[in-house]
Amino acid sequence: MSSKIYDIVVIGSGPAGTTTARVASNLGLKVLLVDKRQELGAPIQCSGAISRHGLEAVDVLPDDEFVLEKIFGFTIYNQIGEKKIIDYRKLKPNEYGTGDDRNPLGFIVDRRRFDRYLMTQAERAGVEVWLKTEAIGYQTCNDGSCEVQLIQFNKNISIKTRVLVGADGLQSQVGKWAGLQTHIKLKELASCLQFVVDGVQTDGLLEIITGQRWAPGGYAWVFPKGHGYAEIGLGVARTMTQHDARWHLDHFIKNSFFKERFCNARILEIQGGGVPLASPLKIQYADNLILVGDAARHVNPITGGGIHTALQSGQIAAIYLAKLLAGNQNPTKKNLKGYQDNWLDASGNLMWKLYHKKTAIFKNKDITLRDELLFETMSDYFSPNSEYKKI
Amino acid sequence: MSQKKPVTFQIGWNACIHCGACVAVCPQKPGFITAFDTIAVDTLCDIACMACEEICPVSTISHINISSNESTPKMQPF
Repeated sequence: MSSKIYDIVVIGSGPAGTTTARVASNLGLKVLLVDKRQELGAPIQCSGAISRHGLEAVDVLPDDEFVLEKIFGFTIYNQIGEKKIIDYRKLKPNEYGTGDDRNPLGFIVDRRRFDRYLMTQAERAGVEVWLKTEAIGYQTCNDGSCEVQLIQFNKNISIKTRVLVGADGLQSQVGKWAGLQTHIKLKELASCLQFVVDGVQTDGLLEIITGQRWAPGGYAWVFPKGHGYAEIGLGVARTMTQHDARWHLDHFIKNSFFKERFCNARILEIQGGGVPLASPLKIQYADNLILVGDAARHVNPITGGGIHTALQSGQIAAIYLAKLLAGNQNPTKKNLKGYQDNWLDASGNLMWKLYHKKTAIFKNKDITLRDELLFETMSDYFSPNSEYKKI
Repeated sequence: MSQKKPVTFQIGWNACIHCGACVAVCPQKPGFITAFDTIAVDTLCDIACMACEEICPVSTISHINISSNESTPKMQPF
């Protein structure tokens, strides 16, 4: 075993893990970041939408390296194609637009490039990064630290750290190691599929299509993807349909009010994923361990958006840990609760509120009413006056 | 849907898009996973909730029932 003791070891080099690592290193902690993959961001399980504010709040400037397209607003459709347009270029023309003194509202990022960029920023901040390194377990030690077992190119490595940060996504094994209640119900995990396509026009808006007919328990989307490409996808709750996501996506492309628009679509990439439309984890910490990002289920329960929330929780975690460890306090379960409390204050409580709102919508047995409520809630969520802004 | 008889899962790799949804929904203990980020194959699952089969966006997970009078398939560590 290496004699080195890290302040924190982060498992998983996605948006949450890299942000935790970078901010913690900037605050003086000794940080190791590991990821089992050889290339970050792939296989892509995400549509790549993030607000400009979400990036700027964690000091990440939009960069050509990862920005595929600038976004200026939203169009929300009901199932027969009636729409509500929320275009910030028209709502606040002095602030939003393409001119030098105008800003976009958000971006579609290339997750392969975005995750690599975030890792680079972490490395430049002093973080040690090991790729092709899988974490397989940990034990707490008597001296208040813990020991983490890793495998790197078939070699077993054991390292010591004061805190282990699980940033290993929705499939988090780290949370399971700690015995945290991480299980997600089938009805709260949307089964998602998307195609990156050529031959479909877009106009700088994220298009959200609601309605049981196209995406029972979820919604469909058409997002601009840069270079003239688009992304067509949807997520469904499998408890609300007999068919899989692939069937629904095919049905949506061939039969929806967009069938003419989609008739020349040529598929360039196929991606999928499970997107939680669920509550955050009730307990996101244990002795010597915290979870951030998707692993803690820091995901918007109505939109499934999780990049900005991951960046934010990484920052909150790093600031909390830097303060705790500088104070010579042991990172016990009791002492780590403050991380979750800080996160709840910053956005978690509103996320819980949104979760209850979402649950109430889908409890309605009347499909027409449910569709109307979802359309209305989505439209409110994306409006400039939403109380859930930044969640 | 849910059944109590233990099963082993099989994955049609040709259709798998490595989306990880099956692992995300799986209530099994840690390590019930392959190197390709899917639920474990050729390993007995005694929960048999079938959530992994249902969540799969491309329906490429299937299972074999393992009853006491059938031979148990070769067990593999994860």
